[in-house]
Amino acid sequence: MTLETFDTTFGLWIGALLTLCIFSFLYKDNPFYRFAEHLFVGVSAGYWLVYNYWNIVKPNLIDPLAARRWQYLLPLALGIFMLTRLCPKIGWLSRWPIAFMIGSGSGLMVITYLQSNFLEQIKSTLVPLDPSGQPWYVLANNLILLVGVVSGLVYFFFSKAHTGVTGGVARIGIVFLMVSFGASFGYTVMARISLLIGRLYFLLHKCAGFI
Amino acid sequence: MDSVPTKPRRSLVDRLKDIDRRVIFVFIAVAVIIPMVWPIGLSLKASPPSRALFREVESLPRGSVVLMAFDYDPATEIELGPMCLAFLKQCFRKGLKVVGLALWPQGAQLARASFSEAAKGYNVRYGVDYVNLGFKAGGIVVIDSLGKDFRESFPVDVDGRPLSDLPLMKKVKNFADIDFVMALSAGDPGLPFWIMIAQGRFGRKVGGGCTAVSAPMLYPYFPNQLVGLLGGMKGAAEYELLVGEKGPATRGMDAQSIAHAAIVFFIIIGNVFFFISKRKQKLMGARA
Amino acid sequence: MLTRASVSFAGRRLLHLSMCVLAGSLVLCCQALCQSPPSDTPPFPATNLVAKDTPDDDGGSITLSWTLSADDSGGKNDVIGYEVRRSKDPNGPFETVKSVSKGTSGVTDESKVENDAGYYYQVVTKDVGSETPSTVFGPIQAGVQWFNLGRLNTLIVTLIYITLLLYFIVQAKKGAKLFIRRIAGLDALEEAVGRATEMGKPILYVPGISTISDVATIASLNILSGVARTVAEYDTRIIVPNYDPIVMTVAQEVVREGFLAAGKPEAYNEQDVFYVTSSQFPFVAAVDGIMVRERPATNLFIGMFFAESLILAETGASTGAIQIAGTDAVAQLPFFIAACDYTLIGEELYAASAYLSRAPLLLGSLKGQDWMKMFLIGCILIGLITLNAGYDGFKSLFDIPLTIFR
Repeated sequence: MTLETFDTTFGLWIGALLTLCIFSFLYKDNPFYRFAEHLFVGVSAGYWLVYNYWNIVKPNLIDPLAARRWQYLLPLALGIFMLTRLCPKIGWLSRWPIAFMIGSGSGLMVITYLQSNFLEQIKSTLVPLDPSGQPWYVLANNLILLVGVVSGLVYFFFSKAHTGVTGGVARIGIVFLMVSFGASFGYTVMARISLLIGRLYFLLHKCAGFI
Repeated sequence: MDSVPTKPRRSLVDRLKDIDRRVIFVFIAVAVIIPMVWPIGLSLKASPPSRALFREVESLPRGSVVLMAFDYDPATEIELGPMCLAFLKQCFRKGLKVVGLALWPQGAQLARASFSEAAKGYNVRYGVDYVNLGFKAGGIVVIDSLGKDFRESFPVDVDGRPLSDLPLMKKVKNFADIDFVMALSAGDPGLPFWIMIAQGRFGRKVGGGCTAVSAPMLYPYFPNQLVGLLGGMKGAAEYELLVGEKGPATRGMDAQSIAHAAIVFFIIIGNVFFFISKRKQKLMGARA
Repeated sequence: MLTRASVSFAGRRLLHLSMCVLAGSLVLCCQALCQSPPSDTPPFPATNLVAKDTPDDDGGSITLSWTLSADDSGGKNDVIGYEVRRSKDPNGPFETVKSVSKGTSGVTDESKVENDAGYYYQVVTKDVGSETPSTVFGPIQAGVQWFNLGRLNTLIVTLIYITLLLYFIVQAKKGAKLFIRRIAGLDALEEAVGRATEMGKPILYVPGISTISDVATIASLNILSGVARTVAEYDTRIIVPNYDPIVMTVAQEVVREGFLAAGKPEAYNEQDVFYVTSSQFPFVAAVDGIMVRERPATNLFIGMFFAESLILAETGASTGAIQIAGTDAVAQLPFFIAACDYTLIGEELYAASAYLSRAPLLLGSLKGQDWMKMFLIGCILIGLITLNAGYDGFKSLFDIPLTIFR
């Protein structure tokens, strides 16, 4: 049996069966769901072990060392230090690779984020508010944008209690936040329905042939 | 003789307020299945971010090189797969060259399947009109390395062929040789990193496709940092409409709309019952 | 010797040859007629060619610009493109380094450009049958710039940010009183732990599905420290399933120290802080299973979450547990807000971490960020005033790359 025929026969039925086992959780927890859950957990653990070896450890450590690039002994040492977590007596060594990862990660990201999420977003917030030069709905949009950004920032200001003017502006900010969370919720509901449509299409079209 | 204590009768409102969630699951299932079996053909309009992306790609001259990132997995294939196919068909129709790569492991295989599917009906050849560089772990670091040389992260393509053997890759060294970046992303690493590095650092034009979950977070980047954005299956259906190739996303829109209508109905009903119940409790409290 | 037969044969050969030549000429004429007729005059050249070292780079690049030929979208309108040619000698020979389509008035040459070598450029305007070179421009040298002036604004903002952070961290270490407002979700934590103790049920703490280098995970582990101590004081069981093995090792240490600080080290059970899987949906499937089977009284979802957040929160809600969530994942906040009893929104997670631990580093960082927000609001207000007063110079300070020095 080739991979293509497995995909369209036996593989298809396994997919359908496991889909139905997971769906059975909608009724209540049951052995079929638990079987599918444990199978999923086990297979994914095995998959990620293989993935991590062939895509991360081998090309980034083993192959360079085999090619006598001795500078890779340093990350090898840091990796071993990380494993010392398992031995309480020398577990303190693992702080060095953690510090390195956090430090280098922060260093790389601070500049990038300040540029794209701070400077560029400030620029995008500087909008014309002149009523004579644009349609009313554009002006309204610009005002909403401005009020939302400033009040949202005030809500997340922790150095002053939310009382008085600060409290008032922060309350406007939380309203904007909740509206945006509502929109985000709606988008996610759309995403979940899309996934459901995908699964049902798989069952009804590919497996059962109803559509 | 003592009488048997009876349970107080619950009103219809209280019973509906505490309706078993499985009843709602059944309604949603029916709302999705019926339009799939009997399509309605509800109309669809493209939103400004989708139109902006389409126009930008249409303005690329023949022979332009598009870098396409397949940063998703089978779990989100239903949303991103259709927009990927529609985009590729537009590229092949316009004679654009496509260089594909993936920052997610399963993305490389999804890319292979997408290229194969999209190439049907177009006179395109692997290595000349499109290339699949495969997957590379590293996220933002990989994107950054593309600014110097693609060969640093991708010395060979997905099948192990050296890039020097591929005619398309002979003229592509780094971001300077890329005319447009299209990133399809389901999470991290994904579109935000392409915006930060490809657009922010190297000044490339970036368009994106994302799951509906990520769309609200990415809209702030449009239009200054992102030339266009396709959000979820709806975005995919809009792009299929613009490209003129009806596909799985368009097919799913009827079910999507009816399911949304059902959910809105339940939200309204739920809130009505909630406020009625609250008012009742207030009244009972006042009487007591 | 010529015979009649040989003459006849030669004649037939000559006739065949003539007919072939005629046929070929006819084909060539037809081809020529079907194509655009070759231009009888060459196109006007591109003018005002300027080449300069590409600014703000590490060399190997020269930027050229020119004025389009008069026959490009005007005049005879027969230009098909331009060729950029380069030489180290003003008299040539020139080699083609780039071809561009009509309408293009600039290009960057990065084709094996050596730094500090003098190059001469010319741009050749091409139509169907002829071409016209521009005047030669040069010599021009590519060079390395030590400083990218286009990123000066990023540098300034970074320095401001780092200065603020360092200043407040130093102040915090000196013992200065740094005020942080009370976070609503924190009040519920102790109540939630007490509830679990009364019901005799465990507490489930999920520190997110990201790595140790994620700030949200670090904040979560800080909060876990406080929760573990409270849990130990109440003699309640805490279950901590982990997505990342390194986070698991840190979580084990944090929980162990929490129990130690409460004076109950023997109550700590290492089996309750365990690794599940590093795959998103299998992890949530396993945690769902734990929630349904163990029925914890309190669920704490604090850290970085992705698409599995609603599944976690909904399953927890269906078991009747009290739920407190905290994440800076904007996309997941709506679900936690809808399905949980209390939610720490975005930066409130970090503020909670600083508030509980009172660590100088955390306190100082939070204050530094607060002042950065003030700076941001100030920039927005100044920018709006200047832009709407007709001056967009302030807005151009935020261009990426900064172009005011070019």
